Amino acid sequence: MSGAAQVTKRAKYKISVKDPGTPGALRMNDQKLMFMPDNRNSGAKLVVEFKSIQGHKYTKEGSNKPPLINLANAQGGSYIFEFDSYADLHVCRDFVSKVLEKSKETPNAALEKSAVKLPDEQLSEEEMQLRIKLLQENSELQKLHRQFVGGNILTEAEFWAARKLLDIDPSKKSKQRVGFKSAMISDIRPATDGRTNKVTFSLTPEIILQIFAEKPAVHRAFLNFVPNKMTEMEFWTKYCRAEYLSRTKNYHAVVAEAAEDEELAVFLKEDDILANEVRKKIRRVDPTLDMEADEGDDYTHLPDHGIFRDGTKESNELQSEHYRRTLLQDLNRHAAVVLEGRTIDVEREDSTRALAEALARSKRGNEGADNNANEERLDRTPRVAEIEDLQAPHCLPLAPLSIKDAREYFDSQQANTLKASRDSQASMKCSLSRQEAYGSVRDAISEIKDMGLSDPIVNPEVALKVYSGLTHNISSIKYHLGKNPRETVLDRLPSATKEKLLYHWMSIQELLKHFWSSYPITTPYLYSKVNRLKDALSNIYPQLEEMKESLPADLRHQVSLLVRPMQQALDAAIQHYDADLQKRSAKSGEKPNGYI
Amino acid sequence: MIFKLEDVTVYFPYDNIYPEQYSYMLELKRALDAKGHCLLEMPTGTGKTIALLSLITSYVLSKPENPVKLIYCTRTVHEMEKTLAELKLLHNYQTRHLGPAAKILAIGLSSRKNLCVNSRVLAAENRDSVDAACRKRTASWVRALAAENPNIETCEFFENYEKAASAAVLPPGVYTLQDLRAFGKQQGWCPYFLARHMVQFANVVVYSYQYLLDPKVAGIISKEMQKESVVVFDEAHNIDNVCIEALSVSVRRQTLEGATRNLSRINQEIERFKATDAGRLRAEYNRLVEGLALRGNLPIADAWLSNPALPSDILKEAVPGNIRRAEHFLHVLRRLVQYLRGRLETENVEKEGPVSFVASITAHAGIDQKTLRFCYERLHSLMLTLEITDTDEFLHIQTICDFATLVGTYTRGFSIIIEPFDERMPHIPDPVLQLSCHDASLAVKPVFDRFQSVVITSGTLSPIDLYPRLLNFHPVVSRSFKMSLTRDCICPMVLTRGSDQLPVSTKFDMRSDPGVARNYGKLLVEMVSIVPDGIVCFFVSYSYMDEIIATWNDSGILKEIMQHKLVFIETQDVVETTLALDNYRKACDCGRGAVFFSVARILLARLEYLRDTFQIKEGDFLTFDALRQAAQCVGRVIRSKADYGMMIFADKRYSRHDKRSKLPGWILSHLRDAHLNLSTDMALHIAREFLRKMAQPYDKAGSIGRKTLLSQADLEKMTNDGSINEMLY
Repeated sequence: MSGAAQVTKRAKYKISVKDPGTPGALRMNDQKLMFMPDNRNSGAKLVVEFKSIQGHKYTKEGSNKPPLINLANAQGGSYIFEFDSYADLHVCRDFVSKVLEKSKETPNAALEKSAVKLPDEQLSEEEMQLRIKLLQENSELQKLHRQFVGGNILTEAEFWAARKLLDIDPSKKSKQRVGFKSAMISDIRPATDGRTNKVTFSLTPEIILQIFAEKPAVHRAFLNFVPNKMTEMEFWTKYCRAEYLSRTKNYHAVVAEAAEDEELAVFLKEDDILANEVRKKIRRVDPTLDMEADEGDDYTHLPDHGIFRDGTKESNELQSEHYRRTLLQDLNRHAAVVLEGRTIDVEREDSTRALAEALARSKRGNEGADNNANEERLDRTPRVAEIEDLQAPHCLPLAPLSIKDAREYFDSQQANTLKASRDSQASMKCSLSRQEAYGSVRDAISEIKDMGLSDPIVNPEVALKVYSGLTHNISSIKYHLGKNPRETVLDRLPSATKEKLLYHWMSIQELLKHFWSSYPITTPYLYSKVNRLKDALSNIYPQLEEMKESLPADLRHQVSLLVRPMQQALDAAIQHYDADLQKRSAKSGEKPNGYI
Repeated sequence: MIFKLEDVTVYFPYDNIYPEQYSYMLELKRALDAKGHCLLEMPTGTGKTIALLSLITSYVLSKPENPVKLIYCTRTVHEMEKTLAELKLLHNYQTRHLGPAAKILAIGLSSRKNLCVNSRVLAAENRDSVDAACRKRTASWVRALAAENPNIETCEFFENYEKAASAAVLPPGVYTLQDLRAFGKQQGWCPYFLARHMVQFANVVVYSYQYLLDPKVAGIISKEMQKESVVVFDEAHNIDNVCIEALSVSVRRQTLEGATRNLSRINQEIERFKATDAGRLRAEYNRLVEGLALRGNLPIADAWLSNPALPSDILKEAVPGNIRRAEHFLHVLRRLVQYLRGRLETENVEKEGPVSFVASITAHAGIDQKTLRFCYERLHSLMLTLEITDTDEFLHIQTICDFATLVGTYTRGFSIIIEPFDERMPHIPDPVLQLSCHDASLAVKPVFDRFQSVVITSGTLSPIDLYPRLLNFHPVVSRSFKMSLTRDCICPMVLTRGSDQLPVSTKFDMRSDPGVARNYGKLLVEMVSIVPDGIVCFFVSYSYMDEIIATWNDSGILKEIMQHKLVFIETQDVVETTLALDNYRKACDCGRGAVFFSVARILLARLEYLRDTFQIKEGDFLTFDALRQAAQCVGRVIRSKADYGMMIFADKRYSRHDKRSKLPGWILSHLRDAHLNLSTDMALHIAREFLRKMAQPYDKAGSIGRKTLLSQADLEKMTNDGSINEMLY
């Protein structure tokens, strides 16, 4: 913090850039800024807390604009002051940025807001919240943000533009729908207390939904009966009773009970909606596995033809009975429902009634979609007929992976492959004496002379082994950077140096990302951005050197190994910058009035 | 690719070919050249169907002076659709390279149920009621009535088809059943009758076995097929069973009751006609005096099922005098039904040959052999005369007449067995009189006699020398091909013990042991957790599957299985099974994973007859029959060489060499000695290793030493330097 805790300058307060402005004095301390107009009656007197200031902009020296500073407040308005000179502007600017930066360090909302809001960027409220959240959660990002945006190397927009990937708010993203449980929870089992003859069934909304989905007749009955004819409690009591009955496998009792109570019979009877659905579905079945069509063609399936009682046609008189639902049917139905997936969410604390209605709505909605399925079925048949490995491969339609943070994913993959390749490397290490190597080369040459080149010249497996062996070191350096908690080069360094190294590496990456993404330079804006970046990049060299110098000699070598790739990356960027600059100046030589 | 196979230029619709496909084509071509029958076994997943189709179509293209028709028989309609889809692919390729000259007409043929596009007819439940609903609208007398009375419903598709007359033809192309329906709908023509009509002009006809083997169907559909046809029975490992089923009839109490009802209905009709149109019955009588030459003169929609398996002289003979008159025939049938009812009242299992059975009928009911033999034809004629359209109501009397004709025709190869009850439920009387055919060669004989080349092919025909004996024919080529594999993509294992080291088996005396059921359950639970996508689990019978699933459900094993995979189960309801299968495939395709419980049907058979006639031992045949089912089940594990799969034979009986050795060679060659006597934990270890190995990318074309995938260039090179012969043998 600079020594001056307060700054006072002459300035004109403007409502807009075009406004001629009210002359007066601008006074700032680290809490607030005050403007006192010369004319005390003008009413332009202003007292603003710095907490409400979100950001500041100012005109550049050398541009033909007057020295202006623009302080944006949280409400989207701004305060514009015109100074007498650029010197005054710079003093105020530095003061403002310091005050703002200081308030950033205290983790309150104002600081983050100051970092985010920019008048030239139409930001939605959510996006701003998201950025703030990201900064709060990620201290590294916060550091980078402070350094580059705060240090005017990057603008707010530029900084965030590179992070679109992360900008997906997990809570905003359409949530993945959880499917039905694989277990048959609709197959509720009674619990007995062991003392009385009472049995207890317990139902949860999840179970109820599954029952509705698997047994459309129960669903329909619920919509019809509840609450007009009976209460929900009565309905489920009846259902459970029916379940209990069919579990006893006493068919006579089932038939008798069903005859007495027509509502109970609904639960015990064959599900007619299901039967209809089945009839509809069978028409859409893949013709290459349609066994029903076989039966329609098979003249040995005439009654009393073919061999009787040979184990294939077992007597099924019992099953034709109306009230028998087999376990096998239930299992098939359950699996089909699970496979179809859930059409509505149950997390909402809905009443069972609402649940039932939602399910009915979604069913109606689905009916339209069925027609398309038929079309799709028609072109699936020829595809099934093809023998895939005799033919050049097809491009299959792929669903894109939904990866929240691509870097995280690929880094972890890389870690895996690296581990594997390291293992393989261990086995590859072989030592040849010079004679042996020479001999093997000579053999190879004479073999080629005799037999010509084989195809492929190099065995692909060997080639891959050599290749991965050679590239292993390149990738491993990056991998070792802080990834492995045990024995890495970094861990041997003092923690301060390690932090510094990591920090540099991170900031270099950030800057380079922006740097390279600015090419080719097509607008003056990009040109100025590249210049800014280049300056920031060249500032890093001395810092790296300084860090190296400060270390004891035994560590210096290690660190310089780590620093070298950073320097190389920086060199490449600067080199590119210079080359580009030369090209440009050569061009602008031809066009003296070139726009840059 | 296009390549030369001796003097035939083969058009093959892929860029590469498996070596065994090449050899398969070569053997097939030699059989065609020799105009003889052949027997070819090639493992599933090696593209048998496309090799066969390519060779035969290319053969016809190369030798236009010798146009053979291809009659391709599949076991099921879905295989028919698949075959036609492959043919479509091939046809597109051939027309692309040869232009319109390569155009052929290929159609699938199925029942009305699968081809009808009339929604009112289709609303009927099953095949027989669809047939009847169709007849009700298309029979000639119905249409004659409808011409006068507009209230009588006809079928607009059939009317349009009739109106179009000779203009109603299918343009060249390949038509699946679906395509036929679409074409029919679009033109407004009945696809069923159109297809039936086009059968005689088609170059390739794909239909079900029964259209050739079942005498009730074959006469009407297949009698016009020329001798110069190549008949292919695909997936023919069960062909003997189809033949036997086609000639076996059983009579139960319900059959006799139904037949009695049918007879009184027929009686009413006869009385009605006597009162209103006596001339019609007289005309029928006169026609019958002249013999059964009525066939062929009927309008197509009236045509009935007739019987080519009957000796051909029956066509020249006149119907015996005692059944020419309708009411006399009715009396004969009544006596027959009465006689059969008496025979069902037995308390012991009885077994008889056809000769003594016919003698007994003659003695007790006064019906001689010749009369019996004509029953089916006579009934057919009578029903036409009486203008009966609801034929599905008359199935019972048809069964009785079918039985009479068979028993009156054949003196050997059959036996009549009367059982008073089902042996599983001895306390419930449920008598059945079964006419069982033992001799598969009876039904297939006309096919071998009639057609120039019959090709019997399947993935599993081991032991290959058994089939010529079972079917009583002499193949000119009989070969079994190995599968050339790029990598060991199948992994058979024999599991004999559970994780508790106790033996597992579905042997009858061990089946109901709870420990065995638990061990099977544990095996499945472990397997579903490590195998990606799909598992199919075969049981020996429905009742065993029912029982074991109930046990698993009670003990919570099923719940554990469901945590990893969805469970789909084959039931006795075909519709339900089809949907389950469709869902199973969907679940595997989408990565959800599923397990399918299915039943491997093992047929008990006609052992004595086989021993006496063909010198095949009972034990051998039983093992053969059981193992060919097992082989069929596991043989489906891969569809192409790019697939991979495991097969686990979980029964200690497989550890015996004599049982195991009946498995097809291509499976045996992958069965390592170390995998012959495994327990659950060892099997799991092997499975994990195998799956991990198979998931790696691999080189499809095979290593340099042995090519498993040949390109056109490879083939040309090999033909030139003669190394092609090395590959073949």
